[in-house]
Amino acid sequence: MHKNLSHEEITPPEYSFYLGCVIPNRYPFVEQATRNVLNELGVRLKDMQGASCCPAPGVFRSFDIPTWLAIGARNIAIAEENNADLVTMCNGCYGTLIDVDHQLKTDEKKRTFVNNHLVKIDKKFKGSIKVKHLAEVLYMDLGMDKIRDSVTRLLGGLKCAVHYGCHLTKPSAIRPWGGETEDPRFFDELVEVIGCESTDYKDKHMCCGAGGGVRSAIKEVSLDFTRHKLEMMREAGAECIVVMCPFCMLQLDLGQIEVNSIFKDEISAPFAIPVFYYTQLLGLAMGMHPNDLGLVKHHNLKGVPPFVDQEPILSRIFKELGYDYKQLQKQSVKTES
Amino acid sequence: MEYIKRNRIDKISAKISEEIVKDDLELIRACYQCGTCTGSCPSGRRTALRTRAVIRKALLGLDQVLDDPDIWLCSTCYTCFERCPRQVPVTDIIIKLRNLATQKGRILAPHKSLTHLLIDTGHGVPINDKKWNDLRESYDLDPVPPTVHKYPSAVKEVQTLVKSLGFDKLVEYKPPVNTNSKKDEKPEKKEEKATRKGRKSKIKK
Amino acid sequence: MEEDLKIGVYLCHCGVNIAGVIDMDELEEFTKTLPNVNLVRQYKFMCSDTGQSMIKDDIKEGLVNRVVVAACSPRMHEPTFRRAIESAGMNKFLFSQANIREHSSWISMKDKEGASRIAKDHIRMQVAKVSKLESLQPQKVKVTPNALVIGGGIAGINAALDLAEQNFHVYLVEKTATIGGHMAQLDKTFPTMDCSACILTPKMVDVNQHENITLMAYSEVDNVEGYVGNFKVTVRQKARYVDTEKCTGCGNCAEECPVTVPNEFDLGLSLRKAAYLPFPQAVPGYYTIDMDHCIKCGICADPSVCEPDAIRYDDKDKFVKLDIGTIIVATGFDPFDPTALKEYGYEKYDNVITSMQMERLLSSYGPTLGKPVRPSDLTAPHSIAFIQCVGSRDFHPGRGHKYCSRVCCMYAMKQARQYMEKHPDAKIYIFYMDIRAFGKGYEEFYEIASREYGIMFIRGRLSEVYEDPKDKGIWLRGEDTLLQVPVEIKVDMVVLSVGIEARDDSDKIASLLSIQKTEDGFFMEAHPKLRPVDTLTDGIFIAGVSQGPKDIPDAVAQAKGAASSAAALMAKGEVEIEPYFAVIDEAICTGCKACNSMCPFGAITFDKISGISVINPAKCKGCGTCVAACPFGAIAQNHFKEEQLDVIIRSVLKEGGVY
Repeated sequence: MHKNLSHEEITPPEYSFYLGCVIPNRYPFVEQATRNVLNELGVRLKDMQGASCCPAPGVFRSFDIPTWLAIGARNIAIAEENNADLVTMCNGCYGTLIDVDHQLKTDEKKRTFVNNHLVKIDKKFKGSIKVKHLAEVLYMDLGMDKIRDSVTRLLGGLKCAVHYGCHLTKPSAIRPWGGETEDPRFFDELVEVIGCESTDYKDKHMCCGAGGGVRSAIKEVSLDFTRHKLEMMREAGAECIVVMCPFCMLQLDLGQIEVNSIFKDEISAPFAIPVFYYTQLLGLAMGMHPNDLGLVKHHNLKGVPPFVDQEPILSRIFKELGYDYKQLQKQSVKTES
Repeated sequence: MEYIKRNRIDKISAKISEEIVKDDLELIRACYQCGTCTGSCPSGRRTALRTRAVIRKALLGLDQVLDDPDIWLCSTCYTCFERCPRQVPVTDIIIKLRNLATQKGRILAPHKSLTHLLIDTGHGVPINDKKWNDLRESYDLDPVPPTVHKYPSAVKEVQTLVKSLGFDKLVEYKPPVNTNSKKDEKPEKKEEKATRKGRKSKIKK
Repeated sequence: MEEDLKIGVYLCHCGVNIAGVIDMDELEEFTKTLPNVNLVRQYKFMCSDTGQSMIKDDIKEGLVNRVVVAACSPRMHEPTFRRAIESAGMNKFLFSQANIREHSSWISMKDKEGASRIAKDHIRMQVAKVSKLESLQPQKVKVTPNALVIGGGIAGINAALDLAEQNFHVYLVEKTATIGGHMAQLDKTFPTMDCSACILTPKMVDVNQHENITLMAYSEVDNVEGYVGNFKVTVRQKARYVDTEKCTGCGNCAEECPVTVPNEFDLGLSLRKAAYLPFPQAVPGYYTIDMDHCIKCGICADPSVCEPDAIRYDDKDKFVKLDIGTIIVATGFDPFDPTALKEYGYEKYDNVITSMQMERLLSSYGPTLGKPVRPSDLTAPHSIAFIQCVGSRDFHPGRGHKYCSRVCCMYAMKQARQYMEKHPDAKIYIFYMDIRAFGKGYEEFYEIASREYGIMFIRGRLSEVYEDPKDKGIWLRGEDTLLQVPVEIKVDMVVLSVGIEARDDSDKIASLLSIQKTEDGFFMEAHPKLRPVDTLTDGIFIAGVSQGPKDIPDAVAQAKGAASSAAALMAKGEVEIEPYFAVIDEAICTGCKACNSMCPFGAITFDKISGISVINPAKCKGCGTCVAACPFGAIAQNHFKEEQLDVIIRSVLKEGGVY
């Protein structure tokens, strides 16, 4: 890949790259796209070696807060050892890590408690770094001007249903968005700057249904949230869904297949709205190659994401950008250099 | 007889709310039962969850709040908390109630298996099938991510923490055959040693 | 020759307020050990007649010549005890009060031993101080029999009329072009349903015609100097660009004016011209040109339009200086702006309006001549939901205020009833948390609203709304908390029952007048129960909603109370002020003038003849700035002399007290 060396003398921004579970283990193309896009934007990513599950706020925090704090603190401690702020691509991981970070930074008793356990694995929570969501890194650290400048081609007014997801903005007191939760705009701006249209839809800020351990324990309830959201998106004429959370992505992607089956008598027609992670589309607008953005399927694996076929919509976009989806698919990963 | 219902509250106590207050959640007592939370709740629109009633039951110390499945229907979206005019941390209170329910053994079965996955692998959603490694590879990524999956010592660290906090006992975790821990005196001990791979294959099915 | 010090210390139990926390016998034993203490007594309520008599008798019998009362805050009862002492023939400044209630038993209720230690320190300090106090003679100053009333709403109007009737001259200063305030915007008033304008406008006319009232509308207080009885107030009369001597109020200018702007009186629901009269019954009835929007086209100035030639494009603000004895602040309130509660869709959805807008829609001289319509299609809504507590009882910073606004329950029911009188078939819902119908005739009003009108009360605070894009109806989401079921219903229009908040310029007023505000943003009364219309600045009173949310009857009652308090001061003609002024020791003063410019009250002048600085006791407020500024220690402040303060500090330091 061609790398644009920055002519500025300043050291490139550096982050500890926190993967979580769903992205590396189920939606790896999000990892690929994000690594490459951030690299292209001049960001250096340091892997967090041996990082574990955040642990997920809806489930593990619900069972035992102290354990949740300690394992979360271990992950933050790894980023501290990297000496670089932590960036996560997942709302759930963000929810856990920023909450743990905040609690341990502000509550000495909790910090001592956690460190008394961490010492057994030779780790320590120091509170020396910040926890950030990828959206914050893009919108605030790099900034909209930088994003705008890096865009080389617009995506032709693709109608996107932007799904923020809950923990990206809430609880707002420990989020960087100025307390706005009812009608935040930053994600819409990020989508609009790459030439997409952010389609307004009812209950836009409603939960996808996956969180809080609801998906894992009582799946049909979580899918009923999803059914409603999908109906609202379809009613508003969205061509695709854009997310910045892999768990929302899973719920809205795999969820469509599940909704189509569980609620087949309640929905007017089966859903087939492709779901993209934001960096996949951003990279495309930055002129990057679809193969570097996890946008092209190069395997014959069954039962793997993306579950909703992206080919129809991608074929259309690719055509405008001068690619041919089928052609791209034929190129194998190995032969691409 | 079916019309005779002798339901009544015959005991009111602060035992649940005191547990909650202890965890820096004293604002639960500020709740004035306005219903903003319930009306904002995407789960309540399709389930029996009534966040306001959950708070009320907790304040009155009714055990039912820990026994009913309602508290497990919250997707933790925090809309209720953001809108609450008395700034009651409704979501965090529900989480705390779930902690208390778990201590009573009320954790749901699928959740329990999830905790065992975490203890076994360090991931809540682990790579438990080769297809995921292959999928990673197809996107030009290392088939094994640089997480706990790549560093066996890291899994051990997570397990050490879990034991140190007594979480394994809380969720009735029984380790599979484990070569790493000599102290284990569980029945599986007798089985032949398994490598980490062996354990993974066990999860696979 | 100094007489022997005989200090009497009187320990007050204040019922259980003090004695319930502090061991009074032990405190008495301790007090007896303090220097120069001749006598210690304790009693249940020192402020009672019996308590006061104890002190008086001891003085008369020559047992004490200095008095310390250890009780509540001196803010409460210092005047009481001083009066008692004076009546027994002792100089009242030889008294000191130790606050062992607010500063000790109340704050350390759970730590009895700590409370006791603090109480001892307070007594120790006051005993030390009283031993150094000197006799002083109180100062008397004249009170100018002129009152300034700031704000021409229903409170200000009533205060002004009451004072004027007692033959005091009143300057009524109103910020906007007319008096009448928010009440002029209301259609009817609860619970009696009388027409607001019908009861208000006669009062407005009275104000305008009263020989003892100088109405200064479209004016603002610019500066206030001086002190009780002797305020020097500067009022800025804003340029109206219309000669009020000549304007006949014919309205030709407004008719011909080509510029239209949203009418604030109708909260943007109608338009007015740049040349305008706020509403038909406005007082004074002069037109005003809004220069922020006027394009100076000259049409209104044309003799064919303004026959009396009253238009003055070159009009300028005028500054008028007034001599004022007392001031009444009645600046009113702002309605809460619900935009920040985005989930309620105000300004996002056409058919979500505020209660003030509804009031204008219901008004016979409102934009729809009293036939309410919904903004999206100007049709009469078949269903309306009133949403209570918008901006009230909300502890979330930026989303409202903690307090109850006290009027919204009643006005919502009133508006609902009014609408149903015009549209008996309309469906009216009121989403509420608690109905607060506490005034005279209010509960009865509520009962009629339910029984006779069939208004549907839903007990639940609204959670969110969304618009039906097809017909612009509004969907409501909330919970019926009584049934424990989520509610999702659609109505044609939503009225947000917005609360009341302190005026956005109340900070400015507070600093102009040196008065305080409470945490809620409203002006602070001197005592929440017993001095509800006084402020902590002598001679300045508060009335109406500027002190806190209240309905019209309460606002009027408070205005009349404030007028009465102000009148009492002015009727007496003179007022006693504490002689705590600073004095320059002529023998030490070098005439360096360092103090002259430091004085914030302009009380110090340089006397060329004697070559030293002189302090005017009438102007001196006893702030002590000059005392600290004097490089030679030539200035001392009565009652706060260096040795009087020094001895207090030494008394605790020597004994290693808590402080």
